[in-house]
This record gives sequence, structure tokens and C-alpha cells, in this order.
Amino acid sequence: MKLREFVRPSTLKEARAVLRELGPKGMPLAGGTALHFMRGRTPVTAVDITRLGLSYIRREGDFFEIGAATPLADIQRRRGPRWAMHEICRRISTHQIRNVSTIGGNICRVFPWADLPVVLLAMNARMLVYTGGKKRAEVPADDFFASQPAGRFAGGDILAAVRIPVLKAHHGFGSVKASRTAAAFSLVTVAALLELEGGRIASARVAAGSAIPFPKRLRSVEAALAGREPSAETFRAAAALAAGDARWIGQEGMSADYVRELAEVSLTDALARAAEFARGRND
Amino acid sequence: MRKGTRSVSFTLNGEKKTFATRPDEKLLDLLRREGYRGSKYGCGQGTCGACTVIMDGRAVYGCLLYAMQAEGREIRTIESVGTFERPGEVQNELAAAGAVQCGYCIPGIVMSATALMESEKDLSDEIAREYMDGNLCRCTGYEKIWLALRRVFDRRAGGSPAPGRSGKGAKK
Ligand SMILES: Cc1cc2nc3c(=O)[nH]c(=O)nc-3n(C[C@H](O)[C@H](O)[C@H](O)COP(=O)(O)OP(=O)(O)OC[C@H]3O[C@@H](n4cnc5c(N)ncnc54)[C@H](O)[C@@H]3O)c2cc1C
Ligand code: FES
Ligand code: FES
Repeated sequence: MKLREFVRPSTLKEARAVLRELGPKGMPLAGGTALHFMRGRTPVTAVDITRLGLSYIRREGDFFEIGAATPLADIQRRRGPRWAMHEICRRISTHQIRNVSTIGGNICRVFPWADLPVVLLAMNARMLVYTGGKKRAEVPADDFFASQPAGRFAGGDILAAVRIPVLKAHHGFGSVKASRTAAAFSLVTVAALLELEGGRIASARVAAGSAIPFPKRLRSVEAALAGREPSAETFRAAAALAAGDARWIGQEGMSADYVRELAEVSLTDALARAAEFARGRND
Repeated sequence: MRKGTRSVSFTLNGEKKTFATRPDEKLLDLLRREGYRGSKYGCGQGTCGACTVIMDGRAVYGCLLYAMQAEGREIRTIESVGTFERPGEVQNELAAAGAVQCGYCIPGIVMSATALMESEKDLSDEIAREYMDGNLCRCTGYEKIWLALRRVFDRRAGGSPAPGRSGKGAKK
């Protein structure tokens, strides 16, 4: 992306005002790592949003709140009970990229390979969007990722933070990213949130991305889990229904059928991890 | 001033500097143009690590950072670590282990290892692998690089000074 100008506002309010005025000629810049690869004919003004106090992780009641400009490395390094975001962040690209690229940059413009939208869909995260008022608009993940989120920000609004529900006891989370090499883009990424109750699955949220055009929840898989025992057979049977929710796309050197199998195995693993977590895994 | 020219100020290897730049010049290009040629251009797209520099204590890719993003930050390049005549501890060990073939990846490797040692107390393989996962070497197969780094890390962990460098860097 050609940059014609580079500005560094010092408040969220100022950043939004600048972006509103620039319209399509402006573009928020967080880590900037994606901007280098974006193709656009007209040069834009980059509006640096890394100096607005948007880099933090804190517990707020039943949520972990992650500032939109928090680098992935910070999310990855954090440890604590009922926290599961580090797992997927460790799997994104390389150390140097994780030090710079932000959670907001990963989800405000969703590229097909993006890993965090999958995780945030499964976790039922809420995006807090700064729309100019005193209160930030809260957008549930299902709405946020219903279509390309970049459209939502075209008018100058800015993602301020992401809220992730603190996992309760009996809640478990698991994610799996299948890739050819450690730092490669995902072939398929899946994530699952399970709520266990009396030895059964009370509810499930399952999502996938990368081998499909856009990240989405797998509703048939979720339905097949509800009320069942969290066993290997249950997980395999549920994962086998994923093809009803998502049309897997073949990739370089891989048929669509191979990718489907890869997705099903990954789903089974993610569900097993989630169940293990719910039963008290503590890393 | 030529149209499109901007200036950016940051601390470079301990000195406050101001440079003329363009809004979309990469930090790596600026550094090399200004004579800091130790940082290398490999892939130019954030996958090889040859361009690694340290910004505010973190290893970052100079090829994926606009120079303007460095405003007010503290940038360190390989030139701050050692010279041919007075190599740093990591450089010494890499040379001693025969871990340098073409050498193109080495400045980046040294910067990532430096960031690791400055940020973490625990220099176990697991943590070290995480900090070093963004640096590729096309020549050596990593075996000797790893051996050299382990020597430095183990010495840090043991609290003993670097040989021949009057304990510099091991004071902490
Ligand atoms: C070599 C390489 C490998 C990668 N591998 C992976 C991978 O395996 N998995 C993966 O998920 N990602 C991967 N990425 C993608 C990387 O994570 C993205 O480049 C990154 O997420 C973008 O984050 P950023 O902070 O740099 O965003 P930027 O480049 O600054 O911004 C990206 C887009 O989001 C917009 N934006 C950013 N923040 C906000 C905000 N707060 N409000 C509104 N709009 C905003 C920007 O305007 C821009 O359109 C890789 C990237 C590289 C370069
Ligand atoms: S030149 Fe920057 S990562 Fe390869
Ligand atoms: S020594 Fe040649 S790339 Fe590493």
C-alpha cells in the first residue's frame, strides 16, 4: 500500500476525527505489518493508532479486556488461570511479527488465513468499537465476523478493545492450527469452547477458518455435541458433520478431500483439548 | 524540502538522531541508506529475519516497519553489539563454533538472541526457540548456531562472565 502521509494522533478522539475527514484516503495503522502487502491504487494516509493507550490486558469482572493495539507477543506471554489466548498467539507467524502485529490488526480486516477470528468466534468475544461517544459500542463476535469487518471501520470508527469471557470452572477451550511449518500460514484453524455439566456437554461453540472463504461457526457440529458425553466417539462423530457447515477448499498440493480430513482430525483434537481444559488443565 | 519528504527522530544505538524520510520508507531501507549496513535485506516480506533490529527492547523486522513508526523509539542495530575488531559475546561464540557460513543471517540471529537475553531470565530451549523462530539460515542447518547460542545462554544462567570480555554483559 502506498502511503502519502503518516500522522500520529495522540487521542482516540483525534484519531477518529482525522480518519473521518480522510475517508477512503485514510487507514488506521497498528502494527502496519499487513499494510505492506495490501494493494490499493491510491496512496493513503496512515493514521498511527499505537500511541493512544490501546495496548493492555486487564481483567474486568467476567472479562479479560485486551486493548486493540496490544501486540500478539504480549497476549502470548500472559499466563493465568482461565486464560487460553496464549496458545493460538504462539502459533502465529514468528517472534518478530508477534512483537509488532496487534490483535486489532488481525481481526479488523480479516484475511483468509487469519487465526484470531476463529478463536474469538468460539470464545464468544465482544468487540468494543469507538464510535465517538462516551460509551464504546459492544459488538458480539457473531455480528462482527458476519462479514468483512473492515466495512464497519470505513467511516472512521476504531476498534478499541476485545473482551473475552473469563472461562468458568467446567468451561474448556481448545484450538488447533494445522500448518506445514511452524511459521507458515494456516491450512486449517479450528477452535472449540465446551461447557461441561454433570459429565455432559451443556453447550458448545465451534468455529473454523483458513480452508474456507471466511471464518465461521460450525453449527451442525455444535448441535451434535450438546447433551452428549465428552468422549472421543462423540468428538469424532460431531467433527464428521463439519462438511455440512463448511465447504473446504483444496490448497496447493492438497485436494479438498484431504483438507476436509485434516479439518475433521483437527476438530477432534481441539474438542479433546477443550474437554481436558474443562476438567482442570491448568497451563 | 522535496515534496513527500518527512523527518523522523529516534534513538539509534544510544544516540538521538533525526533523518529525512518518506511516509512509506521502510526502517531497513533508511538504516542501510544511512550507512548501517549490518542489517540485511533478505526476503523483504517478514519471513527470513536478516533485517532484525531491536525496537524498545523487542526484536522486530526492519523490512516490515515504516521508518515513521520508529518516532521516539529506541532502535538498536547489530552495529551496537560489536565490531570486527571487538566482537560481542554471541558473535565470538558463533565464530568459535564455526556457525557462520555466508553470514547473511547472522546479524539478525545476534539481534534476536540479544533481545532474548535482555528480556528473559529463563533461557531454556523452549523459550529460546520461541525467540529465535523468526530467523532463517540457509547455510548451516542451525546445529552450530544453536550450539554457540546455548554456550552463551548457559553461561548467563550460570552467572559466569564471558571469556575475554572482562565480564561485560554478565553483570546483571
Ligand atoms: C510473514 C507474515 C506471516 C503471518 N502469518 C500469520 C498467521 O499465520 N496467522 C495469522 O492470523 N496472521 C498472520 N499474519 C498476519 C498478521 O498477523 C497481520 O499482518 C496482522 O494481524 C496485522 O496486524 P497489524 O497490527 O500489523 O495490523 P495493520 O497492518 O496495522 O492493520 C491491518 C488492517 O487492520 C486495520 N486496523 C488495525 N487496527 C485497527 C483498529 N484498532 N481499528 C480499526 N481498524 C484497524 C488497518 O487499517 C488495516 O486495514 C502474518 C503476517 C506476516 C507479515
Ligand atoms: S528481510 Fe526482513 S524478514 Fe526477510
Ligand atoms: S550462514 Fe548463510 S544464511 Fe546463515
